Amino acid sequence: MTETRKLLERQAEWQKGLAALTWPEKVHMAEAVRESAAQLSRARSPMTAAVSALRHAGTAEVTTRQAKNDN
Amino acid sequence: MAELLNAMRDAGVISEYALFGAIAQMRYTEPVATLDADVLVAVPPPQTLELLKPIYEFCAARGHRPEGEAIRVGAWPVQFVPVFSRLTQEALEEAGSADFEGIPLRVVRADHLAVIALSVGRAKDFARILGLLESSSVSREQVARLAARHGLAEAWTRFEARFLND
Repeated sequence: MTETRKLLERQAEWQKGLAALTWPEKVHMAEAVRESAAQLSRARSPMTAAVSALRHAGTAEVTTRQAKNDN
Repeated sequence: MAELLNAMRDAGVISEYALFGAIAQMRYTEPVATLDADVLVAVPPPQTLELLKPIYEFCAARGHRPEGEAIRVGAWPVQFVPVFSRLTQEALEEAGSADFEGIPLRVVRADHLAVIALSVGRAKDFARILGLLESSSVSREQVARLAARHGLAEAWTRFEARFLND
């Protein structure tokens, strides 16, 4: 038996074990995963904020130039 | 969430509710990842354009605030979805009661979950049908019968050809 096959069998056993959990246990497990996904999303937010700030700065610069031209 | 839903029904804000979507699926299959909880609701007459307003007000009075298109209840953003077809109406009416840590909670039946997923038809909905079949909580014959009754026989035939037939 290859190592890969053993690994797949262990994974299959693990998955069967998950299916045997009670419904509330499964929901709590999904709840924990949801929180992790939310944390990842929050970790991304500084980059999103930086992009948004750059866009805003660009808009402000254009507006300033336009004002100067208008004057 | 279970207490809130039961209280909402007892207060007459909704006439009935039943969990569907991924949280309901987990009653029958292994756990799956999801970002929110979906609840089918029937709203008592008179039904206005602001169908969900009484639900939002009821939740707000108990400290549950809107979060995007959902309402945050404990750890979960909960999406309230009014019944939108004969299929979802039947799913709501025939939902079963399950025990969630000592509190009764209405949950859509596995065959209704599968056929609702078939009617929506995204990749994750197809994965839900396969999960339900694999867990033996519903049979191909049951899904076929229910799908046919709701005008989805052709969609089911396509699904079988794509995912189940060798």
